[in-house]
Amino acid sequence: MSRKTQVGVIRFPGTNCDQDVFSWVQREGLNAKWIWHRDSFSDQEFDLVILPGGFSYGDYLRSGALAAQSKAVESLISHVKKGRHVLGICNGFQILCEAKLLPGALVTNQSLRFQDDWVDVRVENTGPVCAKVEKSQKYKLPIAHKMGRFFAPADDLKKIQDSDQVWLRYEKNPNGSLDNIAGIWNAEKTVCALMPHPERASLEWMGSQDGKAFL
Amino acid sequence: MIFSEKLKKYRMNQSEYDLAKKLVGRDLKEIEWPLFSALWSEHCSYKTSKNHLRKFSYRNSRTPNIDGENAGLVDLGNQERIVFKMESHNHPSFIEPFQGAATGVGGILRDIFTMGARPIALANYLCFGEPGADRMRDLIDGVVKGISSYGNCVGVPTVTGQTEFHPEYNKNILVNAMAVGLLTGDEKLALSRGQTAGSLVVYVGAKTGKDGVHGASMASESFGEDSEAKKPNVQIGDPFYEKLLIEACLEVIHQDLVLAIQDMGAAGLTSSSFEMASKSQMGLELRLDQVPIRDSSLTPEEILLSESQERMLLMCEPAKFDQIQKLFHRWGLEASILGKVIPEKLVKIYWHNELLTEIDPDLLVENAPRYDRAFEIPTRRLKIEKQNLNESQIKEKFLSFFAQPRFWNRSPIYRQYDQRVGTRTMKDATQSVAFLKLPSQRELAIAVGCRPEIFKQDVLLGSYDAVFYPALQMAIKGAKVLALTDCLNFGNPEKKDIMGEFALSVASIAEAAKVLDAPVISGNVSFYNETDQKGIPPTPAIGAVGLREAKTEIPSDQFQKENLKVYSLQIPFVTVESNSINIENLRKYLWQILLLGEKINFASSKMVGKGGTLWTLLQMSQDGVGITLQTQNIGQLCQEDFYRVIVAISPEQEKQFQELLKDGLFKNSFELLGTTKNNSFQITQNLKWNLQELRMKHKTSAQEVFGEFL
Repeated sequence: MSRKTQVGVIRFPGTNCDQDVFSWVQREGLNAKWIWHRDSFSDQEFDLVILPGGFSYGDYLRSGALAAQSKAVESLISHVKKGRHVLGICNGFQILCEAKLLPGALVTNQSLRFQDDWVDVRVENTGPVCAKVEKSQKYKLPIAHKMGRFFAPADDLKKIQDSDQVWLRYEKNPNGSLDNIAGIWNAEKTVCALMPHPERASLEWMGSQDGKAFL
Repeated sequence: MIFSEKLKKYRMNQSEYDLAKKLVGRDLKEIEWPLFSALWSEHCSYKTSKNHLRKFSYRNSRTPNIDGENAGLVDLGNQERIVFKMESHNHPSFIEPFQGAATGVGGILRDIFTMGARPIALANYLCFGEPGADRMRDLIDGVVKGISSYGNCVGVPTVTGQTEFHPEYNKNILVNAMAVGLLTGDEKLALSRGQTAGSLVVYVGAKTGKDGVHGASMASESFGEDSEAKKPNVQIGDPFYEKLLIEACLEVIHQDLVLAIQDMGAAGLTSSSFEMASKSQMGLELRLDQVPIRDSSLTPEEILLSESQERMLLMCEPAKFDQIQKLFHRWGLEASILGKVIPEKLVKIYWHNELLTEIDPDLLVENAPRYDRAFEIPTRRLKIEKQNLNESQIKEKFLSFFAQPRFWNRSPIYRQYDQRVGTRTMKDATQSVAFLKLPSQRELAIAVGCRPEIFKQDVLLGSYDAVFYPALQMAIKGAKVLALTDCLNFGNPEKKDIMGEFALSVASIAEAAKVLDAPVISGNVSFYNETDQKGIPPTPAIGAVGLREAKTEIPSDQFQKENLKVYSLQIPFVTVESNSINIENLRKYLWQILLLGEKINFASSKMVGKGGTLWTLLQMSQDGVGITLQTQNIGQLCQEDFYRVIVAISPEQEKQFQELLKDGLFKNSFELLGTTKNNSFQITQNLKWNLQELRMKHKTSAQEVFGEFL
């Protein structure tokens, strides 16, 4: 038997899906460990690091902007350089874009409002992270964000599209995201992030169990 | 300042000043004016309501008496305890809707985590005026955004609520927020008393600024011409800070580092320090110059009265302070020592070594004036006229509903709230009752109640209904109501008829609560919801919490499948025939429904509410599965009954269901309405609609306020 996957969950001040993600990781039978935003970690320690949703640093300046400057994200960059895996959820997605580990940016929803909805997303390109997710399949997941509208300049967007970096597309665009994008990959396919919350759809009574496939 | 101006500034009257003078034994010192003003305000002292609120003293084995604490407690067994409360933030929200509503949420959350309970759910009760009224669209939008911005950021899901629109709230909106917290295992319940002499008095959280100075006394006054000028009295909230404060406070409480803790709510440092001292019958030394401040020009008076948000006062053994400070630092927060607890029952307030005053805290807390205001019990009774509409009248009435704000789709409101953070939410705000999964795998039900349109016509019935309606909503989902909180919103209590409405409401809510064995364990009173002499209708909002232990699926509000049999069950509470009220009887029916639900799995269930059976059926058809009616009794389809229940069951269970009904209380009052059918909304052969069109019409009904956001 191979050893259990080691998963690190980063906690920033203002992260509020930390417990939810931690429990989800444990329920799926993986080893979960906290990473405090002020601490660095070794690039050997984790197979996967998850950045959960919330309002890191109160969304001051811009969502994710301050968290991207933290010690934990400094370590995260070395972790990525080693080819290790990263998953960002909601605010985690925003942080990864701010840290330039993913292309593009998340801007305010077209409605200019926070939106709590159930959405269907379709998988466009799979990779080694969230490997149980199947290409072309639809997954029902909840979203809860005010700044979830994916944006990238035309050239960057074309690059994302051409190099199969689009991970998930909304079946019905809830927020004005460019090209209906709900999740993307980095070019190396080691870092991915999505706006919907798979951890909130991981038990029968939650309204969907489709999120289970994301671990 | 001349004396009469001073009375005005500190919102005290001559007799109150005379009482204060008598208690202290001399004229008040400069610094004592704001202390008496704040702690003797209606908001802090409950001077008008206290004599009536005693009626809520009923408790049972699940609800230990911890009166005087920040919120009430219910022991659910299985090492699960919940703490909850509802509170108003009406006045600030009318002046500045975004911050008013946001800090309302922040304040009620602090009442919960100050007791060591992790907040797991928020709910709200909102009353707005007509959308076309002056400022109303901005008020609606601002309040919803305020609740959304605070609750979402702090990471507590807003799972249910109720929103009313009525012209009577044009100049006095109501914003009531409820929070529910959970203590599991042997987690310590923290109280606001328990400190010993020599304990340190520690200030934690945000720095003190000028915001909210005199907020408590502002909330104890009616509005007139000058409400705009009251803007500086409104506090500014920072949910990010609150989130840090929640985590840090829960850590120090559960590591048993604190002896007593209380949030700084209305009247800030004044109320928290004096109340804590009075409750434990000990004194305090308080060094105001040690309070962390945002603005160096703050005066001692402003420091005492500031209602800056996200601040707590705690007391600890001196040896534990370092550990507390370390923990707060980890969260990027400060902890500062303001002074210490002294055995002598005196609060000594210092400013740079100068003793400003020393005063017995009981004089301000326990000896606040009590008013037995004159009241006149309202006798108006609702007259229920039996409807008998023909097809075309039904059509006309039903279609007229869509344009009325009362019937508007509420989803543009609750979709702005994060309903799922915390991953406990089983049933969200699309349902009439919210359900959360507890660690024990049992299910916690939360619902709010109070229908102002009933109160306008009948205060007695309205009060019973405010308790029974949410209790019945829970019962038809298989949950038993356990306890209640209330937020009593009324007009000017100095008027006899308003005070009469209040007295009757309190007595009737207490009576209904006792009949249901669901004690009122916490609450809040908001008087002076009045502008230019015109008050709101009585609006005692109720927050109900219940428990569901069945292992079966919770019935949905909406039809989920075709070919289900849809029945209506009539509960004879106030009948058209008798117009009499029998609440003992009602309890029996509630139990009967719980028993029925244990034997028959209701696939869907809903209480008939506004618009009667027909509108309720439309709401049940919102997921696309509608109904084809078979009943011939269509004349009363738009009647707003007290009460009627609609349930959908599988055809396989129909026979058993009928037998159970015939053997019980419903034997003469049940009826098969029809069968569920995809995309159908058929009343009779001649009266039917395309369901898809009706759903779209309803979905877009609130467009005039929320625009394209559907």
